[in-house]
Formats: sequence, C-alpha cells, structure tokens
Amino acid sequence: MVRYLGRKIFIYLLTFFVAVTIDWLIPRFMPGDPIGMLLSRIGSRPEAFKYLYTYYVQAFQLDVPLWQQYVNFWKGLFQGDLGVSIWMYPQPVMTIIRRAIPYDIFLLLPAILLSWFAGNHVGALAARIRWLDNTILPLGYLLTATPYMWLALVLVWFLGNQTNLFPIAGAYSPQYRPHLSLTFILDVLHHWFLPFLSLFLVMFGGWAIGMRNMIIYELESDYSRYLEALGTPQYLIRRYAFRNAMLPQITGLALQLGGIVAGAVATEVVFAYPGIGYIILNAVQNKDYFLVQGCFLFIILGVLIANFLIDLVYVLVDPRTRLGMTGE
Amino acid sequence: MSRKLTFVVLSALVVGSLLLAACQPQTVTVTVVQTAPPVKETIVITPTPAPAAEVVYPRNETLYTSGKQWGPPTSWNPLQTGAYAMGVIGLCYETLFLFDPLKGEYIPWLAESGKFVSDLVYEVKLRDGIQWQDGKPLTAADVVYTFELGKLPGVYYAGLWNWMEKVEAVDDLTVRFTFKEVRYQSWYNLLYSVAIVPKHVWEGRSDEENVNGPNLPPMGSGAYMYETHSEERMVWKRNDNWWATKLLGRSVAPKYIVDLVNPSNNVALGRFLKGEVDLSNNFLPGIATLVEGGYPVKTWYDDAPYMLSANTAFLFMNTTKKPMDDPDFRKAMAYAVNVDEIVTKVYGNIVQKADPTGLLPTWAQYVDKAVVDELGFSYNPDQAKRILDQAGYKDVDGDGFREAPDGSKIELKIMVPFGWTDWMESIRVVASSAQAVGINLQPDFPDFGGYWDQLTGGTFDMAINNFGSQMSDTPYTFYSWLFRSPIEASMPNGNFGRYDNPEVFALVDELDKTPKEKMAAVISKIQRIQLTDMPAVPLWYNGLWAQWQDAYWTGWPSAAEGASKYLPCTWNGYWNMTAILMLTELKPAQQ
Amino acid sequence: MEREVLQEVEELKQLPRPIRSEFVYFAWRNTKLRIGVSILLLFVIFAIVGPFFAKYDPHAYIGPMGAPPSREYWMGTTTFGQDVFSQFAHGTRSTLIVGVLGGCLGTMIGILIGLFSGYRGGLVDEFLNMITNIVLIIPTLAVLIIIATYLEVRGILTQSVFIGCTAWPWAARAIRAQTFSLRVREFVDLARMSGRNSLNIILTEIAPNMMSYLLLVFILQFGGAVLNAATLDFIGLGPTRGVSLGLIMNNAVLWAALQLGQWWWLLPPGAAIAAIVGALYITNVGLDEVFNPKLREM
Repeated sequence: MVRYLGRKIFIYLLTFFVAVTIDWLIPRFMPGDPIGMLLSRIGSRPEAFKYLYTYYVQAFQLDVPLWQQYVNFWKGLFQGDLGVSIWMYPQPVMTIIRRAIPYDIFLLLPAILLSWFAGNHVGALAARIRWLDNTILPLGYLLTATPYMWLALVLVWFLGNQTNLFPIAGAYSPQYRPHLSLTFILDVLHHWFLPFLSLFLVMFGGWAIGMRNMIIYELESDYSRYLEALGTPQYLIRRYAFRNAMLPQITGLALQLGGIVAGAVATEVVFAYPGIGYIILNAVQNKDYFLVQGCFLFIILGVLIANFLIDLVYVLVDPRTRLGMTGE
Repeated sequence: MSRKLTFVVLSALVVGSLLLAACQPQTVTVTVVQTAPPVKETIVITPTPAPAAEVVYPRNETLYTSGKQWGPPTSWNPLQTGAYAMGVIGLCYETLFLFDPLKGEYIPWLAESGKFVSDLVYEVKLRDGIQWQDGKPLTAADVVYTFELGKLPGVYYAGLWNWMEKVEAVDDLTVRFTFKEVRYQSWYNLLYSVAIVPKHVWEGRSDEENVNGPNLPPMGSGAYMYETHSEERMVWKRNDNWWATKLLGRSVAPKYIVDLVNPSNNVALGRFLKGEVDLSNNFLPGIATLVEGGYPVKTWYDDAPYMLSANTAFLFMNTTKKPMDDPDFRKAMAYAVNVDEIVTKVYGNIVQKADPTGLLPTWAQYVDKAVVDELGFSYNPDQAKRILDQAGYKDVDGDGFREAPDGSKIELKIMVPFGWTDWMESIRVVASSAQAVGINLQPDFPDFGGYWDQLTGGTFDMAINNFGSQMSDTPYTFYSWLFRSPIEASMPNGNFGRYDNPEVFALVDELDKTPKEKMAAVISKIQRIQLTDMPAVPLWYNGLWAQWQDAYWTGWPSAAEGASKYLPCTWNGYWNMTAILMLTELKPAQQ
Repeated sequence: MEREVLQEVEELKQLPRPIRSEFVYFAWRNTKLRIGVSILLLFVIFAIVGPFFAKYDPHAYIGPMGAPPSREYWMGTTTFGQDVFSQFAHGTRSTLIVGVLGGCLGTMIGILIGLFSGYRGGLVDEFLNMITNIVLIIPTLAVLIIIATYLEVRGILTQSVFIGCTAWPWAARAIRAQTFSLRVREFVDLARMSGRNSLNIILTEIAPNMMSYLLLVFILQFGGAVLNAATLDFIGLGPTRGVSLGLIMNNAVLWAALQLGQWWWLLPPGAAIAAIVGALYITNVGLDEVFNPKLREM
C-alpha cells in the first residue's frame, strides 16, 4: 500500500514537472514579439522606441539564455513568484491570479455543486417516474448539447437587454466601489445570476442524464435482478442502485471541481466576468507569456490534485483496482 | 437537511471571500531595472486614502464613459503616451496650450501666451494663480523641469533636445526656450501635447521611476483627481479648486468620471443601450441603424457620416517585393479598390471615403487641388485593368489571374489582425476588388502579434494600417509617419511598405522646419510624389467614434447649430484637443 | 506492439456480424434511436444538399443590409447584406465535417492508448496514464494559438485535427477503465485460468463487450468535437477561412446582431448545434439500450 502510494505520488510529481515544463515552453514558442506588441499598444513615439524596447526586454529578463530563463522560472515558482504580467504591466502575475480566482470560485462552485445536487436528484427521479423521464430526458439532452456561450447570449438578450431584469456584464455595477453593505452584496449577486444560470442549466442537463442512465444501468444489473428475485423491497434496491451510480458522478464532480481554477472561458467572455477564463483569453491574445504560464500552472495544479484525490478514493474504496494497477 | 445547511454556509463563505478580495487595497509592485544588472525592488503603494463614505458614485453626478481602455488601467504616467489610463493627460495633467483641430487654433491653457521673441527663442508666459492639486503653485520651474525630463532616454520628446539648446525660467511665470534650430511643426505639436508635471513631487524620485514607473497616484493641475481604479474601470473625482474656474470662469459639472474598460464592442453596445454609459467612444457596429431608428442616441452629425474623421486607414504595399515595387501596379490597386462598398456595407456609412492624399478633412486646406486633379484616383476597375494591361500584367496561363510581365505567377495576401472585425470585413472587399481586376489577392488574418511582426519586419505583401495618421495640429505628424525614414530592419513607426525615396524624406524633414504659413508649398511637392509613386493607398477615414445620450448630461457638442464644437472624445491625446472644454459645457439633465 | 493493438481493433470491427439482424430489429424499435438518428440524418442530408440550394456565395454582399427572413433570403441577411441561409448551409456542412473528423481522430487515439494502457496495466499503464493526464491538462488554448500562428491559414481540417488531438484523453480514460474492469471480471479470470493467452482473451472476452462501447465513445467524441469547435470559433480561434456554425455565431456577436434585433443571424446556428449534439446524445443512449439487452425493457 505504501509502496503503491509512493509510486503514485512519484508519477504525479513527474506529471507535474513535465506539464509545467511544457507550460513554460509553450508561450516561448509563440511566434510574435511580446515586447514589440506591448510597445505598439503603448503607442510609444519613435524617439523612445529603441530605448524602451531594450528596457522592457531586460525588465522581463528575456535577454538571458533560454536555459537561464527556465532555471529562473523554477526558482521563482518555489518562491511563489510567477513574474510580471506583460499585458497588465507592471502587476505581478500572482496578484492578478489571486484577484481573479475568487470570481471563478464564486461563479463555478455554486454552479457545479447546485447543478450536481439538482441533476442527480432529478436524474434519479427520472429513472423511476415515466412522465418525468419523458420530459426531463429531452430537455436534459438539449441543455447539455447547447453551446454555453449561445445560451449565455440568449439569456443576456432576453433578461438583460429586452426585459432589463439583469445587468449584462461585469461583476458589479460601475457606480459602486466594492464595500461591505447589503446594497453592494445584492448588486454583486444581481450580476452573478445570469452567468451562474447559463452554467447551471447546461451542467444540470449533463448531470441529470448521467445519473438517470447510470441508475437504469444499475437497476438492470445482475445484482439488482438477484435482489429482486430474492424479494427485496423496491426502495432498497433503488437505494443500492443510487449508491452505486453515485461513484462515477462523484468522480465527475471531483474533476469539475479541479477545473474550477480554469474558469469558464466562453461564459466569462460573454459576460465580461473577471475570472481566470477571461484573463486567459486576454493573456493569450496579448502574448503575455507570464500570465498565460501562471494561469495554466494553477489549472495544472487543480486538475492534478483532483485526479490524485480520485485515485486515492478509488484505491480505498475498491481494492480490485489496486491489485489491477500493480500489474501481473 | 444538514447537507443543505453545509451548502448555505459554503455559499456564504464564497460570497464573503469574494467581497473581501474585492475590498482589498490595491497593491502595485513595481519592477525597477537599472541599466546594469537588473535589480528588483518592490514598492507597495496603497491607494489614496479615500474617505470611507464614497463607495457609491451617484448616477446623476457621474459621467460614465467608455472606449479608451482596452485593458485594465496600469499606468498614470503622462510620459507613457498611449499607455496611460484614460484622462491622465487632460483631466489630471495639463498642457501649456490646447489645440482646436476644427478651427485650427491653439488655445492658451496653462500658458497665457507664447511667442517667438527672436528667431531662435520662444517665450511662454504662464497664467498667474494656477495651483497643483496639492495646493502648491504651478510655476515656470515646473515647466523647465518637465522639458528637461526630455533629456532622459525613453521620454517621448527626447528628440527635442537634438535641436533645443536650453530651457530656463526667467521669472516665476516666464519660460524661455532657446533653440539650435527651430522645428516649427514638432515644436507647436509639443506645446499642446507635453503635460507639465509637478517638480516638487517628481524630483525626489529616480529617473527610472519617473520614466517607467506607473506614477500612482497621479497629482496634476487639472480638473480631476485620481479617485480609484480597478480591473474594470478608472475613476476620477472633481478637483473643486481647479484654477480654470477662478481664472477662466470654466468649471466641470460631473463630480465623478467613471471610465469603463471595454470587454468587447458587443458588451460596449449592450451597456450603452442600457443607459449605463453616457459617452461611448467605441466603434459600435450598427449605430447608424439605431440613430435612424429613433433610438435616443446622438452622434456628431444626424446622418451620414455621423462621426467626425479621426485618422486615415491606408492600404500599405510592400515596395520591396514584386510586384508591389512597381508604381504602375500600386496605382492599379488604387483604382481597383471599391472603397464605397467598404463605406456603405462594412461600416454602414459611419466612415467617409478618404481623399486621394489621405489628409484628414481637418487638413483639407493643405490638399493641393491641382495636383489631385491631375494625379488623383478614384474607384475605376476599368482604369485599373488598363494600367495593368499597359504595364504588361496579363493572364498568360488562363487561370483568371494576371501574371507578372516576366511571366511569373502573382499570388498575394492582404492582412489585418484577426479579431479586428471591421478591418477583416474591409479586406475581404479589397481582396475581391483586386480579384475583379485579375489580381490574385487573398485576405489573411494572423493574430496581432503575427500581423505586427510581418508589418514592421517588412515581410508582408499588403496590409491595412492607420496607427500614425491621427488627427493633430500639423500634417507633419501624418507625413513623418507615412514616409518614416530611415528604412531600418524593423519599422514600427510608419512607412511599413519601406518606400525608399530620399527626395520625399528630405521634403518631410524640410516640412518640420517650415512655419505654418509656408507649409502648403512643401506639402504640394510631397503630394505630387505621393500620387505619382502611390507607395500606400489611402482608403477611408476611420471615425472619431463618439455616441452619447442625454439622460443624465446635456450640453453635448455636435454639428447642429448652437451646439458647441469641441471634440467629444476620451481617447489619449484628445482631451488636449478641446475635449476638456467639451466637459466644461456639460450640464446635469433635468430629472 | 502498436501493430498488435491495431490488429485487435481491426478484428474488433468484424465481430458484431452474428448479432446484426437482431441489432437492426431492436434498433428500429428504440424510440430514442429513431428520434436521434432522424434528426441527425436531417442535418446530414441538409449539409449535403443545402449548399446546392444556397444561391449565393456565403461571404458576398448580395442583399439588403440586415433584412429579416423573406422569400428571397430565407433566413434573412447579415448586417453587410450576406445571405444567412447560404452561410448556414455551408456552415452546417463544415461543422459536421469537423465533428466527424475530430471525433474519429479522438476516438482512434483514445482506443489505441486506452486498450494498450488497460490491457498491459502496470508501468506501461502508469506511463500512458501520465501522457493522458498531461495532454488533458495542457492548455489547449495556448497550443492552438501557436498552431494558429504557425499555420498561415487555419482551415476546418486543421481545426478537426487539433480537436481530435486534444480530446482523446477522455476516450482513452473511458476505454482504459472499461478494459480494466473487464480484465478483472470473473469470466476473464476463468478464461485466464484455463490457460488461454492474453490476445485471445482480449478478442473473445473483452472485445465483444467493448464494441458497442467504442461506438458510444465515438458518438460522444463527435458531439464533443462539434461543441469544442463552436467554442473555439466563438472566442476567435476558429478557422480563418470558410464558414462554420460557430463562426456565424461569432460574427453575429461581434456585429451585435441581437442588440440590433437581427435574431435570424445568431439564433439558428446555435440552435442547430444544440440540435445536432442533442441528437447525437440521444442516439448514444438509444444505441446503448440496443447494445445492452438488459436495458431494452425500459
């Protein structure tokens, strides 16, 4: 067991190392000169251009050899220093990410958890009740098949622009300075609702269908039949089925939660919601090496940790898996 | 039950963490790099101690604007032209003069007057009684300090010191500039674009910080003081002791100005239609439809072209590549492009077709009509075909496209940055226009980085660009961009097509040294060369995108009779082109 | 080794013959399958035939600007006066192509890695699993940007390849898990105890149980590819040339179609994507029920 865990941890560390290295390499392979872009955006006058160019190249330490940049990157990483953003120069990447992550958590955590609870319950019900199955199933399929941004846009149009019920962009109204008061909290929630709803609806469809199918699988499985034959009460069989069906759903939930830091790019872009997804797109468009790299580092961490936890749970829950994994 | 409770608690925690995060003071870390070994030091700047009460910017006391910020505000340094946050020069820091492009006049601002007292000496008299926002007087010493900053490398007016001898304070209110050689055009341009900074705040800081630091919080002499900023906006607060109220009887009505960062044109339009923005300087597709449709939206003109013209979009052709090195080919392109289709279909008539010289309407007086009549062009595909035929571009292999006179195939690309939607549509039109006269030209949409590399590196075939053609006080800025010299490995400041003609370079240089009243003759010579060689084709004038609504503020400028004629524009460089005066005309709407 | 796996896949394909007639019978009786396949067929036929009915070049400015649907312009025109129907017809075609190509590629890679990984177990599995994980977490967006800038023109083919190359980890995982769970089932153990070799076991014991599963995986990859393509198109990383449903949406948003009341420009492409992907999912469940006799009663 200890040996097995040790090997797992080693593999995960290796994965982390390789992924982070690739993460570091990727922006550097981007064609296009980030400093040139920065200066073109600044609109620097010709007189200052050359000076500023060398200045920024030094400021971002892009003048040292690649291997040195790589070493510097790891050194900085262990000190929690991810460098300085080019797009939002001179803010440190860490500051930008720290500011954005709460928005992702605030938007995605409720969307994922609520849709998970609601989806599982409705899905389980649908597996039992015919009419519910006939209504929920098509609706669920339609929802989960809808492109996030399209649903978001339609919501913005109806509830934002046509009926004026909700604001269409941002995390809070421009007339407020963030502070603790009921009006401000309500304003934040008001802005949060539409992006939340668009995510919730699409996710809900997915969970509900997953659960419904899973339960039906379980109900039709050998052990259910066997229990039935033995005269076990229906509700008990259903409870077993529900419990077994939950396992893959929990895996899915863990993976979704691990991906929270990645934000929801399309939704955040539609609503101009300042989470990581929104930042990533801007960073990529602005060739911001350091910001891209920083954001992806967090995503890698999130996904790896979620995976690791799932592995752990599986090993603890299902000894067969453990045996299988150690090979012949 | 307990599960539900957990969830409620969890959500509450999440909301709480978010609020806390939002309320944290802004910490800005500045990376300072000395020229020798890079040293990092961290300066923690807490925002201006804001009175706790001001957490709401009341709708009827606040002017909401958008259109300038395409990313979060990150700099408040007036030396970083283009990078500084909306209003840093104009609202906060001010210039000696303003320039009114519609009248072509300089308006004394911090300066009371200014003139050449001899051939090489220019003297500025400052107004008496101007104060910085911290209460200290603004004197000649500040002006001298500001211009001497130009000796530091990296300051945009560093070039000034190539031809200026010295600047000195004669007394508290008089500044004397002595030149080695007068470059009239550059000089007058600087007079209304260099923002005067407070010596007593700046002299204590390192040069490095003065040139490259974010300068937060900014402290100037203007009508607005730094209030706060965030990822999504910039907030200015009225300076109730603004000198112009006392000295000029001008005051500004909005207590706050909140400038919103643009996430996208689409969101900008949505916000504007919801009445969340008073003045939008975004390019809003379909705005003409809304104006026509009776939406309560106002623009400078009531009908086409709706907007003033702000800059010229050029078709640049790489003159170092075949066949763009052939003036005949370039001329044929000029005749081939169906600009009207771009104007009407792509832009819905909110832009205007450019003059063959490319000079903005505000520079119309410099267009040499005789030269244009003789050499000018307009959309005429037949003429384009004729020119190509005569020059030997013929379709030899029968594939529908012409080959070069030497028989080689012509396969060209025209590029604009991906995502620049109006330009993307425009080059589709340009490409199909070219194909219509038998030139195999395909649209290409690299991302901005690729676009910029190809454009400045001289590896592109054709491209659209307008960066340096902005409205200003002198066509010199326009020509020095269009005919930037010398030709170098990287050309980030104009002349992207690398058109190499010492004659025109000399003329542009001469133009700089020519006083206003003698400019026409020089410009006429430039225009003759320009229209003969056609190094780049002016296509259309991009608009001074501006649309506003009356719900909270009235007194907007417009072409209408009786309305003021100041520029309704928040872009960098426009506050000192009378936009600040536009602001002083605004009044709260009757609620 | 790889060839061996390929062979396995080849042989897997030939397996369902004995159950074919039964399959068709149950397939026809399954409502979900009927509905899903009908909708899909509708779109496939439209994608094939539609462009021939489209009278105009999808990019040409041919009509009045921003006109609502009419007899002349069946689905209205864009803000520039392009025919939305022509765009829609061509767009549906390329969207389906991206879905099929991307889905195929994703499934193929997934099968290779998944079978191999699940079959071999041990260190090989750990290693392949690591690769899967790395691909899973590597920022697809950034990779796309690089590809985008290196390839001067991004077409739908590039997009399909890209989607296929980044979407396979899910398939690989699912197939690996399936192989895995089958591998430790009692009947496999029995077979193993009877002394048959591994390949034989895979072909006779594991594969029949996998066949249907692979088809299901493909359908999910297909749907995923369509959605992924739409997202990429929407955030401006789609093909630089051509039309697709995602690109139509992207353009409609950039030119503020909804705010200007031009719903006919934005709504149809999104609805079509939802319908296509929804139909795929329904087909998936339907097939599942057909393949899995235990589920048929439902």
